[in-house]
Amino acid sequence: MILSEKLASIGYWTHFVTVALFALGLIGFLIRRNALIVLMSLELMLNAVNLLLVQISMRTGTSEGMVLVVFVITIAAAEVAVGLGIILNLYRMKKTVDLDSFRSLSG
Amino acid sequence: MVFAIFSVFTLLTAAGVILSRNVIYSALNLVLCFFGLATLYLLWGATFISMIQILIYAGAIVVLFVFVVMLLNFEKPIDQSVKLPLMLLSGAGAWGLAFLLLRVLSKSVGEIPILESNSGASVRTVSKLLFSQYVWPFEVLTIFLLALIVGIYVLAKPEGEEKK
Repeated sequence: MILSEKLASIGYWTHFVTVALFALGLIGFLIRRNALIVLMSLELMLNAVNLLLVQISMRTGTSEGMVLVVFVITIAAAEVAVGLGIILNLYRMKKTVDLDSFRSLSG
Repeated sequence: MVFAIFSVFTLLTAAGVILSRNVIYSALNLVLCFFGLATLYLLWGATFISMIQILIYAGAIVVLFVFVVMLLNFEKPIDQSVKLPLMLLSGAGAWGLAFLLLRVLSKSVGEIPILESNSGASVRTVSKLLFSQYVWPFEVLTIFLLALIVGIYVLAKPEGEEKK
């Protein structure tokens, strides 16, 4: 099978994985109360976007999508580092990472 | 066929991330999900992104998660119950959005003709673009990472240390 036929057959699957991964991340972001799992759901959504960017880049034969994916991965790593730092501070304050227990702005 | 198997694998592990009771199982599922995604990138021909995915996501980010999970010992168990109306509302909203996105994607991205020979994914072309046309965003990103290191140090250092 030539490459374009193979890619056309997996194109629909990639669309499906992209939107389903984004939806799963969104659901996890909305219904979970554990702050760590909320951060993991954010990662899932970012990965869905990365998959779409890679697909567009490979379809059009340009490298801009890949460059954008490299930037997104860097920002995602930074976001996780900051998020986990904040979660550690919150844990020191309340001894829990339950998001429902953080109700006041002044601690 | 291989692509379908790995797509289903990725989605199942992603569902495992958001449904696990234990956070460490979520982190494990997240690793498997990232490996599944790396395989999908590989099947598309994006070897560079695939390696980056394994190195940074599965290697660094998940290690950070596991490190924090090990650091925090949960004394009070978190209330895991989910309000049913909220769950139904968020599920319906998310899947509705997914359906809409699927229609939009298959009308827009799905219509792009696929090239026969594709050299846009090699490390050579990506790094050429990264260090010529996109060199200023790249440099801004390095400054941003430097600011990030300082910021996280200020954020996460133990309290009372600034008095010394």
